[in-house]
Amino acid sequence: MNRILSLLSYKKAVVMGAVTVALVAAGSVVLTMAETKDEKAAANAGRPAKPSPADVEAGKQIYFKKCVWCHGPEGAGDGPSADRLWPRPRNFNAGTFKIRHTASGELPTENDLFLTVTHGLPGSAMPPWEGILTDQQRHQVVSFVMTNLVKDRNFQDTENEDFHVIDYGKQTPTSAESIKRGQDVFMNKGKCVECHGNDERGDGNKTQKDEWGFPIFPADLHKCWNFRGNREDPYNPRNVFREVSTGLNGTPMPSFADTLTPEQRWDVANFVISLCPKEKIDPQTVHPAMNVVVRSHIIKGNLPSNPDDPIWQKIPNQYIALAGQITHKPRNFVRLVDDVWVKSVFNDKEIAWYFEWDDRIKSVATPEALAQAASFQETPPSGQPIALREYPMFNDAVAIQFPAKWQSLVPPEKPRFIFGDTKNAVDVWKWEADGTVKEYTGHGSMGGDLKLDARPTQNVKAIFSEYKDGRWRVILTRALTTDDKDNGVQFEKGQYIPTAFFVWDGNNGDHGLKTSISTWYYTILEPPTPTTAYIYPFIAVIVVFGIEGWIIRKANESKQKRK
Amino acid sequence: MWIPGAMPIELLLIITAVAFIYVGVNYALTKMGKRIPAFPQAILMWLGAYSIFKFVLFPPIPVALLYTYMGLVTLVVFLFISSTEKAWTEFKRPILNTVLAVNPIYKGIRTVSFVALPLLIGYGTYDFNVPKYDEPIDLRTVHPAPPASVTVRGQNFTLQTAQNPFRVDENGKYLPVGQEAKYFKMNPFDPNAPPYMKNVRDGGAIFFQNCHFCHGDNLNGRGMFAYAFVPIPANFSDPGTIAQLQETFVFWRIAKGGPGLPTEGAPWASAMPPWEEHLTTDEIWKVNMFEYWHTEFFPRTWD
Repeated sequence: MNRILSLLSYKKAVVMGAVTVALVAAGSVVLTMAETKDEKAAANAGRPAKPSPADVEAGKQIYFKKCVWCHGPEGAGDGPSADRLWPRPRNFNAGTFKIRHTASGELPTENDLFLTVTHGLPGSAMPPWEGILTDQQRHQVVSFVMTNLVKDRNFQDTENEDFHVIDYGKQTPTSAESIKRGQDVFMNKGKCVECHGNDERGDGNKTQKDEWGFPIFPADLHKCWNFRGNREDPYNPRNVFREVSTGLNGTPMPSFADTLTPEQRWDVANFVISLCPKEKIDPQTVHPAMNVVVRSHIIKGNLPSNPDDPIWQKIPNQYIALAGQITHKPRNFVRLVDDVWVKSVFNDKEIAWYFEWDDRIKSVATPEALAQAASFQETPPSGQPIALREYPMFNDAVAIQFPAKWQSLVPPEKPRFIFGDTKNAVDVWKWEADGTVKEYTGHGSMGGDLKLDARPTQNVKAIFSEYKDGRWRVILTRALTTDDKDNGVQFEKGQYIPTAFFVWDGNNGDHGLKTSISTWYYTILEPPTPTTAYIYPFIAVIVVFGIEGWIIRKANESKQKRK
Repeated sequence: MWIPGAMPIELLLIITAVAFIYVGVNYALTKMGKRIPAFPQAILMWLGAYSIFKFVLFPPIPVALLYTYMGLVTLVVFLFISSTEKAWTEFKRPILNTVLAVNPIYKGIRTVSFVALPLLIGYGTYDFNVPKYDEPIDLRTVHPAPPASVTVRGQNFTLQTAQNPFRVDENGKYLPVGQEAKYFKMNPFDPNAPPYMKNVRDGGAIFFQNCHFCHGDNLNGRGMFAYAFVPIPANFSDPGTIAQLQETFVFWRIAKGGPGLPTEGAPWASAMPPWEEHLTTDEIWKVNMFEYWHTEFFPRTWD
């Protein structure tokens, strides 16, 4: 009996054991199935729906009207414009896209492409197409690109293509602490500093290449309006968080999704945005709003020769946008310096100009370069991508230009902004990285022949120049008036004096007419406030009070009469 | 959202809409017996007009123009309130009540306004006399009269009679203006494209190697360099530019650029170079064709 009992219980134990094993196994299978399902859902989160043939066809027609000129008939980024652009137009064939919400290496979502078409890519030739193409047309052209021009990969391939969409998590609002933590991650754990440079001006690693072998520079983080994915909102840290999380496919910028926590990525994003000067953004251009009047501030005593002097520090930097000089040979289709920031002060004798601009490579001309300057050829229209061109090293330089005799011009007449013209000469002060400062008289470049003659006068002096961590800072001074009244500009207080700016980037082959240019601005030397500005208001107040007193008296009289 | 080129019409529509709403609300309130008295009504009108000019208009108008407009508005408001004797009396009443301080409330208002008014005028006088750094206004004629003829690369063109030699039909004959609409949706990169479209393709290539930097990938004057320029480059997609001009006018402007403008066109205010330095006359005609094809405008004809 005992034995039977024990046998029974043994059997029972076996049965119970078997049941348990079966249950556990079944449970784990169910759990695993659930897990794969979740993972699958995550991997498919951003997958675009298959576009309809009608949309693809409509998109094709738009593409061959609007897009083909840069992106090329096969979408290989080789349209007629391509060789004169850097960054070059996107080659769609490999499905490599920088601005995405998907994990590193993955294809973008449909919305990513749609937003890129809608808002364009600042700092490149890609314009915003919002307001030009309707929402539907933009979706259609994206359908065509995804279906026909991305050739090496397939958005519908569920086997090989995943679409993990990044999670923004909880955004850390910007604060001094967050920025400080972000800076720490930037300098240490994230190693961002290695490429983006000590002062974050993109001068850390200057010899990198993209997936197609074209040179590529790390972003200058002080120019948030040039961030490609900023979607017309330069100061929004979400864009930086996204790019740090997803990386930029096809470029050396990796994804930090695995190395940094979302909190750390938010701190980095807040830090990066804090580097960008807080300027009023013009909604039309998505660049700092242009103010064409440069105010020169009156000071007492000597002109400050150090940019960190409190006198310079309390004057706001003024943004001057620069374009490439592409209208006279040699033309500058790719200008690497796209702005210069200026300030000016004057005392009773002299005027000082402060210039500051970002340049990743300090360049001082080599004798070989100077020997080649005369025979320098601009890049031919096609066959030679400008992105691959290597230049002899010329001088980095900055220049400021005024009409030689603005007093005799009837406003708004001015000389031509590119070094003047035959009728109206300009006075150009040019500082070069080899330390020279020269004064030139410009008579323009009509007919392809630049007439820019150096004068023997040495009235302009460089009292400060420094290259540090991707930034040049230069201060030039000159007496307000000089003896050379025919060629040199003569300053007067309170007058609008036309002024234009030039910057040369020596390692970009810039010299002579190959330069970055502005159009005409106006300088005004702050006139002292006239004493009448204080006397007249005083008189006005007394007169108005008098009139009021008289009115009240009259009113009271008429009241008396009525009574 | 302002649609480029349609701004004057949009503005007219807004003003009409505001006027209708104003009349409607006023009518309804009068019916309900809660009519707004003349004095606040006049102030409302004036402030309404000011906020449209100041905050709705885009791009913003220069201060001098704003003053001119507001001067006109003041005049109109005065005409409105003095149109009938009754309205004028009604308008004057609160002012007279204040001046006469008919009751303690009006006395309070009088005290406050009689102190504030001289101070405001004093500030205004100071503001008027203190140095200003506003941008000077540079006026110019955007489409000045063209010359009768131009010499480009040694070849003379009479603008009234010259024709674009690349504007051709399938048989190579001159295609009259208006008949090119059938090409607007065609693919210029089709190997079997008709001669017209081949010329458009050549023109497009020239445009995208030279012109898009300023005039933009959509020919709307917003190219990648455009933001550095004052004034901004011409917007060909606006019905006020090439759509209003003859092909030969556009030919002249491309060939001679800013420096070729007469004084009233402000040659110094144009970054446009004389493209004859870089392009042949054939290339200029082709770019010309591309611009009309892309914007889908017809050039103006001489008759």
